Amino acid sequence: MATELEEIKSLRSAPLEEYYVPGHRTCAGCGPALTYRLVAKAAGRNTIFIGPTGCMYVANTSYGCSPWAVPWIHAQITNGGGVASGIEAAYKALLRKGKKKGSFPNIIVMAGDGGATDIGLQAMSGALYRGHNILFICYDNESYANTGIQVSPTTPWGAWTTFTPSGPVIPEGKRIWPKDTPKLVAAGHPSVRYVATASLGYPLDLMNKVRRGLNADGPAYLHIHAPCPKGWVFPADQTIDMAKLAVDTGMWQLYEVANHQFKLTHRVLKRRPVEDYLKLQGRFSHLLPEHIHKIQAWVDARAEEVGIPAVVPPARGQ
Amino acid sequence: MGKKGLMSGVVAVAHAVRLADVDVIASYPIRPYTGVMSELARMIADGELDAELVYAEGEHAQLSIAYGAAASGARTFVGSSGVGVTYAMEVYSPTSGERLPVQCMIADRTLDPPGDFGSEHTDALCARDQAWIMGWAETPQEALDMSLLFYRVGEDQRVSLPQFPCQDGYFVSHILGHVEVPEKPQVDEFLPPFKPVHYLDPGNPMILGAQIEPSMSAPLQYQRHQAMKAAQSVIREATDDFNRIFGRNYSPMVEFVGCDDADVVFVIQGAHTWTARTVVKRLRDQGYKVGLAKIRVLRPFPTEELREGLSGAKVVGVVDVDAAFGISSGGGVLLTEVRSALYGLSDRVRVIGFVAGLGGEVITREEFYSMARKMLEVAAAGKVTQDAFWLPFEL
Repeated sequence: MATELEEIKSLRSAPLEEYYVPGHRTCAGCGPALTYRLVAKAAGRNTIFIGPTGCMYVANTSYGCSPWAVPWIHAQITNGGGVASGIEAAYKALLRKGKKKGSFPNIIVMAGDGGATDIGLQAMSGALYRGHNILFICYDNESYANTGIQVSPTTPWGAWTTFTPSGPVIPEGKRIWPKDTPKLVAAGHPSVRYVATASLGYPLDLMNKVRRGLNADGPAYLHIHAPCPKGWVFPADQTIDMAKLAVDTGMWQLYEVANHQFKLTHRVLKRRPVEDYLKLQGRFSHLLPEHIHKIQAWVDARAEEVGIPAVVPPARGQ
Repeated sequence: MGKKGLMSGVVAVAHAVRLADVDVIASYPIRPYTGVMSELARMIADGELDAELVYAEGEHAQLSIAYGAAASGARTFVGSSGVGVTYAMEVYSPTSGERLPVQCMIADRTLDPPGDFGSEHTDALCARDQAWIMGWAETPQEALDMSLLFYRVGEDQRVSLPQFPCQDGYFVSHILGHVEVPEKPQVDEFLPPFKPVHYLDPGNPMILGAQIEPSMSAPLQYQRHQAMKAAQSVIREATDDFNRIFGRNYSPMVEFVGCDDADVVFVIQGAHTWTARTVVKRLRDQGYKVGLAKIRVLRPFPTEELREGLSGAKVVGVVDVDAAFGISSGGGVLLTEVRSALYGLSDRVRVIGFVAGLGGEVITREEFYSMARKMLEVAAAGKVTQDAFWLPFEL
């Protein structure tokens, strides 16, 4: 077992040490890069990162100038869960057999939404199902950003990507509702002790969820909403605003499922209309009022599901 | 001297894994390799082996688990057959690229053309260019021995490459053979503990698998090429040690039987060599100058050995237990490899090929006789009229 990590009481008392340091080449305002920094800070020195292929591989690991002050290994986009399982099994065996000294490390997969919820889903599910003591994180920027913004299962309904452009025949862009991976994990993996969602807009909550996930006795899954200025088409200085707005409008919910008990960790008292979020992003600029209404209805239903009352004014243009 | 007993190829390999004190094993079932994992699971349950056995959710995951485990400094073992081998294909190059000496045994099976589970070397041969050490065992004994030998070669720092010890499904994997299982102290003398140079350790942070510029690719790939070349002498060295410590008599890369004065020579690998041996002996008794060269190690390819050992032959007949559709030779992979190795040696050495035993069919003695007849015919005529023959349709 790794050492127990304490809850961080306030941002002021967060550790000063950084384990995700300069050397990366991400875009200005990159949400996933800020996520990586917070996760590494929360996890600390005794950590091994697994980085499946994704935008954070390509932008971070240029040979000879990588931004990690802790060990990091590349996995294919398909197999973050498998590689993490192997590292965990190796440490277990080598420590038990006396072939290695020291303590069991934090083993964290940092997969994009492709590597977690799409092509990498099988390996992730396998690892979580088998009960490996790892933390699997999905940094969700809602598209395959590495390859230039293609649709992923977490891309919102109606969003533009290069694979879901809007046109006269398909005016809404993406026509499929997003896959709900945290609930998929929580519902179907009996050995998982901790599942949570987090947002870059709520860094303290994010860091503590990383620590709770690492402290959990067994596998944990954390799904972090990480806005992408380039893919979502908004100014690079608005990343945090956009993350907060996603939570304030109900497009993103913050909760945790600890020992199979669901709990909202951030209750939005007065939700803002989803249009406030959509209108600031170029990827939704093609949407017509009826599309926005459809998204609002989806958000309302999801909010009510978890006990957030539908106090939002009706979407305009009905 | 170890214990002797009757056992199948898969059980023999499990003993090698036990004796090598492997730390992490990743399993996934597919016939005919499955028995090796069942036997390892039994050994772990009975306390004969202390290892983490991870039930992977597929072959791709098996390799991925081994990749992570080897990168953490563990000795690892996986295995597969047929389409399982090809399903894991994505992970072979990163494993050798990261220079992780993972071992993946293969009990050969066809690639479902459509569903068939008979033995055929086509599965493993798909992965022959991924910088993995690769060779074929003829018997359960050789399967056990090759597994130990390959760990030693792959983990040698001059090589640092993963390995495929292969055996024919059923013909080796499920047929009982007399096997001498070495004693642990003998194995300890032969196979030192895995001492990785680069591994994941928070006490000494390291980045494994960083992204490189196109200009850095050639140097790194050249290093894998050099490692493969170095593997040849390491295999020779390790085989000498192996023979000394375990009292065996293996040739390192190619075993030549009666090739010194042979006019025609079979080149073959794997289980069917056993039948070929009996045919060669019978033909010798009848006065025909027939020889046999068994390829033990296919990667690195034993070019020098074959050039030297086959330079006196008039006709070389390569027996392929694999299908390579549209390949230049019109035969199989081995034919193309052997022709390429012998090219330019002398006009006297003619190389023809036979594709036989596809789908797991037995290559009968009669078939070997007809192949020998064809070789003698070409030797007498002094020219090749057809490059390759598919049995039983063309010969």
